[in-house]
Amino acid sequence: MLFPQLYVPGQQNLYFNKIVFVNCVLHGIYSSLILFFIPYGAMYNSMRSDGKAIADYQSFALVAQTCLLIVVSAQIGLDTAYWTVVNQFFIWGSLSVYFAITFTMYSDGMYLMLTPSFPFVGTARNTLSQPNVWLAIFLSIILCVLPVVGYRFLKTQLKPTPSDKIKEAKKRPPPPSPKRRLRRTSTRRSGYAFSHQHGFGALIMSGRNMRPKSPFATTGTFSPNTTGISVA
Amino acid sequence: MAVNYSAKEEADGHPSGGVGLSGGGAAGGGGGAVKTRKPDNTAFKQQRLPAWQPILTAGTVLPAFFIIGLIFIPIGIGIFVTSNNIREYEIDYTGTEPSSPCNKCLNVSWDSTPPCTCTIDFTLEHSFESNVFMYYGLSNFYQNHRRYVKSRDDSQLNGDNSSLLNPSKECEPYRTNEDKPIAPCGAIANSMFNDTLELYRLDNDTRIPIPLIKKGIAWWTDKNVKFRNPSGDTNNLTALFQGTTKPVNWPKPVYMLDSEPDNNGFINEDFIVWMRTAALPTFRKLYRLIERKNNFQPTLQAGKYSLDITYNYPVHSFDGRKRMILSTISWMGGKNPFLGIAYITVGSICFFLGVVLLIIHHKYGNRNTSADIPN
Repeated sequence: MLFPQLYVPGQQNLYFNKIVFVNCVLHGIYSSLILFFIPYGAMYNSMRSDGKAIADYQSFALVAQTCLLIVVSAQIGLDTAYWTVVNQFFIWGSLSVYFAITFTMYSDGMYLMLTPSFPFVGTARNTLSQPNVWLAIFLSIILCVLPVVGYRFLKTQLKPTPSDKIKEAKKRPPPPSPKRRLRRTSTRRSGYAFSHQHGFGALIMSGRNMRPKSPFATTGTFSPNTTGISVA
Repeated sequence: MAVNYSAKEEADGHPSGGVGLSGGGAAGGGGGAVKTRKPDNTAFKQQRLPAWQPILTAGTVLPAFFIIGLIFIPIGIGIFVTSNNIREYEIDYTGTEPSSPCNKCLNVSWDSTPPCTCTIDFTLEHSFESNVFMYYGLSNFYQNHRRYVKSRDDSQLNGDNSSLLNPSKECEPYRTNEDKPIAPCGAIANSMFNDTLELYRLDNDTRIPIPLIKKGIAWWTDKNVKFRNPSGDTNNLTALFQGTTKPVNWPKPVYMLDSEPDNNGFINEDFIVWMRTAALPTFRKLYRLIERKNNFQPTLQAGKYSLDITYNYPVHSFDGRKRMILSTISWMGGKNPFLGIAYITVGSICFFLGVVLLIIHHKYGNRNTSADIPN
């Protein structure tokens, strides 16, 4: 309850209402158009660097789906506010598993084992080795991700939400407190001031930060009795 | 309600007494007999993992916009210049205009004998250096129609002997003809492009034929993995295709596509190129290669040329168009200015937006102080 005004947007349904939904739909429409028309424009009447075909149905599908996967991973990365090891593993792992599965499915071995099910043999190798294709993919990623970044940045500048303000405040170092008197015996008596941050509770209860001269140092508790406190 | 803080609790948080025990049971070692249901006090389970918490500040977003703008514009210029340096020449030889030499062939049918021929003369303004690629292009031809794309039998094309005589049901109605299985079956194979194009250089009334190479036009994986002839003696393909019949609209059966044994049957490269269905209704497919002679002479000099066409493929009934394209190739493929223009446009817009956001941040951004957050 350090920042009670963080609860207000939830009560006012600010983050999940019809306008937000319409925004999502428009964003989806825009992304779909980009993800189709950028590969379309890049492959229209185009060829590989050795003159052979690149504008065939299988290569076009592969380019579009690679663009899509990378854009979706980037969008998830943008929405992830708290990057732990688990997040890193799953986001980068998804992308690598996509490429691994694609190359496996389009390999010679799978085709020769189950011919009618894997007709895309050779497409991944032949298409993803073209710089043309990677330039088109890079362009689609930037076109899909940058508007989102720009829009969110604009919102934090012009209409910051309470959580944005708090994040900004936390980033700046707190102003230095005026110098206190040199007597600090009272502040070291117990670790109570730090007990609200997580991780310190156990430390406090162990009594390790208590001064040796305090009357209860031998028992390590607040009470002179040897057994624990029971609060009924 | 009773909460126990036992003296035996250790610093790493494995309490010997559990939460939820009543106060009465706290005496002595009551905690050791019951397994605690609290999660372990590890970083993973208590959600204390070290984490990176990025937020979108002006310090990251504005440089990102500027850097992307500054990277994209040179890339776009490079691609655009490369595309402009590619030489391309296109001739539409459908023959719909009465003045075109191929107008007489416009309403030809697929089996007319003798085949209709026409000749188109053209002039190349600039010479073509390095390898030149000759393509045939079709317009308004939907090779991406779903029923068309499925109308093939990949097992048969891979040389499977049982599929050769018993093609898949997907090939209907081009599966059998007069009770004999069709090899290769399906609508894609049936509609194979069969015009013949020959190129001559006109040098003071002498026609010098230009050597056109017909191998090396299909993907390596297609020619060597995907398409195989039925197993057996490759020199006698007629015997291997015994019991099958040619597709309905083909003039010759599949084992007579070429005289060379490694370009005959299912592994004929023109056939393989056609079977790789195009994604868009206007497409071009590689037809022949013109190899460069040496480093000192251009492959195709500037001057007058003549194209001889054996017009077998009727496209007028569906308003299609046919054309022949001569093109050189660069590291980014054929002549395609779209990517270059797109990169330049996106780079400029990014840079402009970066400037706009910088102005907005300067004017409004510093109102975000923590003064209105009670602490």
